[in-house]
Amino acid sequence: MSSFVFAWYSLCRQPARAVLAIAGVAVIGALLFDMLLLSQGMLISFRGLLGEVGFDARVMATSSMPMTGARVGDAAATAAAIEALEEIEVVIPMRIDQAEVVLSERRPMDFTLVGSISGHGAWTVIDGADINQRKADGDASTIVVNRNLASALNLSPGQTVTVRSECLGRRSILPTVEFEVVGIATFPFDSESQLTAAATIADFDRACGGEQDQADLFLVASRSRVTAEAAVEAIQQLRPDLYVFSNDQLVDRFERVGFSYFRQISTVLATVTLTFAFLLISVLLSVSVNQRFAEIAALRAIGFGRRRVAADLVWESGLMVSIGGVLALPLGLALAIWLDRILKSMPGIPADLHFFVVQPQAVLLHIALLATAGALAAGYPVYLASRLPIASTLRNEVVG
Amino acid sequence: MRGAIVGLTLIIGLIGSGILATSGPQPASPADAVGAAGVPSSVPDVLVSRQLLESQDLRIGDVVDLSPDPTAIGARSFQIVGVYEPVPDPTRFSAQRLEARLHLPDMLDLIADPDDPQATEAVDAINVALRNPAEETTFSRAIVRRVPGVSVRSTTRTDRGNPFIVLEQFHLAIAIVTILASTAFLLALMVMQSDERREMAGTLRLIGLKKSRVLTQVLIEGLIIATSGAAFGIVLALVSEEGFNRFFQWRYDTALVFVRISPTVAWQCVAMSVPLGIVASVVASWTLLRREVLALIRR
Repeated sequence: MSSFVFAWYSLCRQPARAVLAIAGVAVIGALLFDMLLLSQGMLISFRGLLGEVGFDARVMATSSMPMTGARVGDAAATAAAIEALEEIEVVIPMRIDQAEVVLSERRPMDFTLVGSISGHGAWTVIDGADINQRKADGDASTIVVNRNLASALNLSPGQTVTVRSECLGRRSILPTVEFEVVGIATFPFDSESQLTAAATIADFDRACGGEQDQADLFLVASRSRVTAEAAVEAIQQLRPDLYVFSNDQLVDRFERVGFSYFRQISTVLATVTLTFAFLLISVLLSVSVNQRFAEIAALRAIGFGRRRVAADLVWESGLMVSIGGVLALPLGLALAIWLDRILKSMPGIPADLHFFVVQPQAVLLHIALLATAGALAAGYPVYLASRLPIASTLRNEVVG
Repeated sequence: MRGAIVGLTLIIGLIGSGILATSGPQPASPADAVGAAGVPSSVPDVLVSRQLLESQDLRIGDVVDLSPDPTAIGARSFQIVGVYEPVPDPTRFSAQRLEARLHLPDMLDLIADPDDPQATEAVDAINVALRNPAEETTFSRAIVRRVPGVSVRSTTRTDRGNPFIVLEQFHLAIAIVTILASTAFLLALMVMQSDERREMAGTLRLIGLKKSRVLTQVLIEGLIIATSGAAFGIVLALVSEEGFNRFFQWRYDTALVFVRISPTVAWQCVAMSVPLGIVASVVASWTLLRREVLALIRR
């Protein structure tokens, strides 16, 4: 009988304890798996989100996040100058500010108003037309709204909303402006409950009381033959006073500032989880070996070598860990969905951003870590079993 | 000579972003700074955060130029008269706190649009301390009724969108999973322990002890083990609390307290772990005690 089969029978002989131990490994393994997914998940998701939008670089006046730092002045001239660079394909200026929809019988509803150029991926129209595709009736400007805003106000293309901008940083100062909703759009960085709308920069300025010629940021796409780094360098040489970030630099910054807490928490929890798994498997196997001293001594007496006994125990540990580890994967995925839902309820987290992202490296690392923990956990029981004095143990067990 | 330019947050009354430019080394004493550097006595004061002071190698007494514009247009000189530790803010703990505090009139002078007569009349927020905090809802309704367009927010928000509440839920979820895993292992250990005591339990039954008596013994043993384990866990948490806080405070350069073992948390742990330990002991032993006495002693 091979060591593997022997270990399997050892487990089956005491099904209650085997099932409980495997369940414990599965739950703790699921937590470990989730912590491995969390350690890189948000970064991978953020990188993917930046890539999907289709721009290589962002240009801002300061290193602060858009809407929290100073704006770039002379926006039109700046955009034109950057776009004139041979490395650059397109430059999209963006103005972002708070505004409110004025409602006749209800309190005004706050939303984020974006002023930009349509048709370049800053948003995607899913119903109706884009802001530059249709002329509004009368004096009204055109606007596209996201699903949340559309459902909150029961809006559909063709309806008109009254908007008051807060771009001066104060409420109730600017006159209201009429916007005709021409389409429903999705915005890549919207959070689950965010209310967002987009208009042309001219209409955005109109809501702000007049031409401002400012931009919170510029989205820049480089030419296909040029790397993002080369585009960033070219813009930086043209305008050393501006802050230019490639997608990789943004991800790097996000990793250092915004994401570091989750990465560290995942490291701490993964370490604690592994230690926990190691200790508990080790204790379970040690107690099991203690209870089977007579059996092990008898096996040694009938010719089982030290290595064979050790191999039986390692296989037993391996079976426990591997069955638990395999069960941990679907359990971990279910747990990840639950934890992701909890964390995504934090304000400002884009709906398409995920904290837990499944990647082959995480699965491989999960397997490697659990296998290591299982092998190490078998160390002490193996030591106990291999050092067992055969004759005295048999005598003690029989006399006892 | 103009030194480094850095973006920072200006606080007091209006919260905005600005640009700081150091105007070269200045004498340490504010009085000397005025005389030696030719800085007029009307130079307004500014407090800078410890992080800003350290990152820009500033000193108390230095004169700095602050501007709301990235090109330093409209910059005004301020003299650093003190340094402060920013109030720990859990929502911004990972951000570098490059901040300065100005007198409200100085800040309005600095950032207000001269063409906008109302610019000097606007503030971002007004902090209000209520005599009776329990009347927050009444106060909020009264303000909204009297000043339409103003939103009133409590500083003790408990809604779902609060990052603190979300993180608490996340950690609670992790704790639940950990408890589930611990329970499985605990049960496995207790089953093994009961199995080991099979003959002893049989002997006790044979000499006349009732099932309930043996079970009481197991229950008391479980209570002692669970209480000792819970106490050890709390002591371990208290010992590691300082280490966790020091690491994260160093990592994020903040005075924020990340881990606090409060009496409530300690009692929650005891309230969960002790009954769990006792139940695990009793359940594992009960499966043994249900058997016939002779089966227990393997006869």
